[in-house]
Amino acid sequence: MKWNRKAKMVTVYLFTIIFLVFLNFLLPRLLPGDAILSMYSGQEIIITEQMYNELVILHGLDKPLYEQFLIYLIQLAHGDLGYSYVFHASTTDMILAALPWTMLLVVTSFVLSAIAGIILGVESSWRRGGKFDRSLLVFMLFIDGIPALAIGIIFLSVFSLKFGWFPTAGAMTAYSNAEGIAHIKDVLIHLVLPLSTLTLSQVPGDYLLVRNSMLLTIREPFILTARAKGIKERRIKYFHAARNAFLPFFTRIGIRLTYVLTGVLFIETIFAYPGLGFLTYEAISNRDLPLIQGILVVSVLLVLMVNIIIDLFYKKIDPRIEYAH
Amino acid sequence: MHINMLHEFKSNKIGVIGLSILLFLFISAVFAPVIAPHDPWDYSFNCFEPPSKDHLLGTNDIGYDIFSELLWSLRTSVVFGISVAAIACTIGLLVGVSAALVGGTYDVIVMRAADALLAIPSILVIILIAAYFKPSLPVLIITLSLITWQTIARGVRAQTLSLKTKLHIKAAKNMGASTSYIMRKHIIPELFPLFMMGFVTKTRIAVFMEAGLSFLGIFDPSTKSLGVMISYATHYLYLDVWLNWLLPPVFSLSILIISLAFISFAVEEIFDPRLRRNNVTQI
Repeated sequence: MKWNRKAKMVTVYLFTIIFLVFLNFLLPRLLPGDAILSMYSGQEIIITEQMYNELVILHGLDKPLYEQFLIYLIQLAHGDLGYSYVFHASTTDMILAALPWTMLLVVTSFVLSAIAGIILGVESSWRRGGKFDRSLLVFMLFIDGIPALAIGIIFLSVFSLKFGWFPTAGAMTAYSNAEGIAHIKDVLIHLVLPLSTLTLSQVPGDYLLVRNSMLLTIREPFILTARAKGIKERRIKYFHAARNAFLPFFTRIGIRLTYVLTGVLFIETIFAYPGLGFLTYEAISNRDLPLIQGILVVSVLLVLMVNIIIDLFYKKIDPRIEYAH
Repeated sequence: MHINMLHEFKSNKIGVIGLSILLFLFISAVFAPVIAPHDPWDYSFNCFEPPSKDHLLGTNDIGYDIFSELLWSLRTSVVFGISVAAIACTIGLLVGVSAALVGGTYDVIVMRAADALLAIPSILVIILIAAYFKPSLPVLIITLSLITWQTIARGVRAQTLSLKTKLHIKAAKNMGASTSYIMRKHIIPELFPLFMMGFVTKTRIAVFMEAGLSFLGIFDPSTKSLGVMISYATHYLYLDVWLNWLLPPVFSLSILIISLAFISFAVEEIFDPRLRRNNVTQI
């Protein structure tokens, strides 16, 4: 039975990769018209005959489809995601330079919103139906409704433009040679607004998830037992109930990551934060298809990696999974 | 147990508020051609006019009437949201029911493909497709529908599987009920709440995606869009026009999505009685 679960996972990953290959490799070649022109037209570059021939050789377009696919796979295996003619740089290098900034945003906001969501969700569910629970719930649904895009723009116009408390763009002051503590301070102050926007857009989701699973956990007999034993209320809340309510929270991290990457796209664009999202925006503006394809590959690999890690850890966190399957 | 949706919904405050706001926005969007004081494509007005009686929200950088633009953009959001929800839910329903009824290899393949779609950020797929083709409204609607049906299919499949083995359906069959009778009286009513919840969620995602994509520069040039309005308005933040130009589309988009969030929360509370207050035994 354990094998079944592994087989299931592997098939899902296989399908994901097939879908990715279809989008990045097959679709541009299947479309009517010239693959090179459909990939590179619209950019602010002039494709000379020499460049066209170079591109044909680079993508192996003069060879049969299966050989093209082999070339594509070999390039991918070498971490070669193509060359951006707009920015005159290797796509892989550009993505690798942007990735740390996005990771900084995503990981920090994940942790912050998880802490806020768990505390608020636990407290809210504990007072289910009461005034605190109901008003917090409505407030959270309200925040949940405001798209990250809108939160970002409001933050930018109020805190950066009106009050001037925070910088309007970038991840650090350009051309400053600040080192040590001054440098860290500079990075942090640039981080504040994008990070708060991204965190705020995630807190309601975490809160609702924790609250819902807490409502179901609270009714379990073991909570009653804990009460009967005279354990302190706070201990029951956080060590008995919340620990179980945390499970669905953990399994959803992988799915959540795709949503967060979408939020990052808008937030980094608004604050001109030099991560993957802003890179995507620049790729769209310049119609740089190889760069968009590269970002898609990296994003999907990131999500798959997180999913694999969660699948491996899940057994340790919830031993019931061994028996359930 | 069949839940009387209408009755339950009426007594759910959050749901009623959400539905009222949604209806108001929906009517404004449907009647935009009648309500809008000006043609949203008419750029013969003065630029950067402050709000006045003739131009409720003033005019923008090239002389469009902002209020008319707003109404027409809302129309695009509503059309986009409902179309995507309708197509994605139909695909999800067909795939889910057929996977549950056919089973076997078909079930495995279809559901694994559905899982795979979860790992792919749909916005990047749409950006890529829009770059290959021209980003027209139908292309965007169909692409988004084709990559967001999986959550509906999963829910419908699970529900159909459990329905298949329910005693009352077997009993109805034994009493000589026709398949269409069983579908009408038992299967459809049981799937309906799930379908409705999916529909609201998909509409919400689609409205958000449409605004987001057009903000990033991917939109059908023949339509007005909230995202495009927001994107252009942010270029003129330094001119102090944010109150009449930037805030209205940001605010409209937010309350549209908030109303959908309220409705979907209310439907979920009704649909999953375990979450309801009066049904929880107090300890």
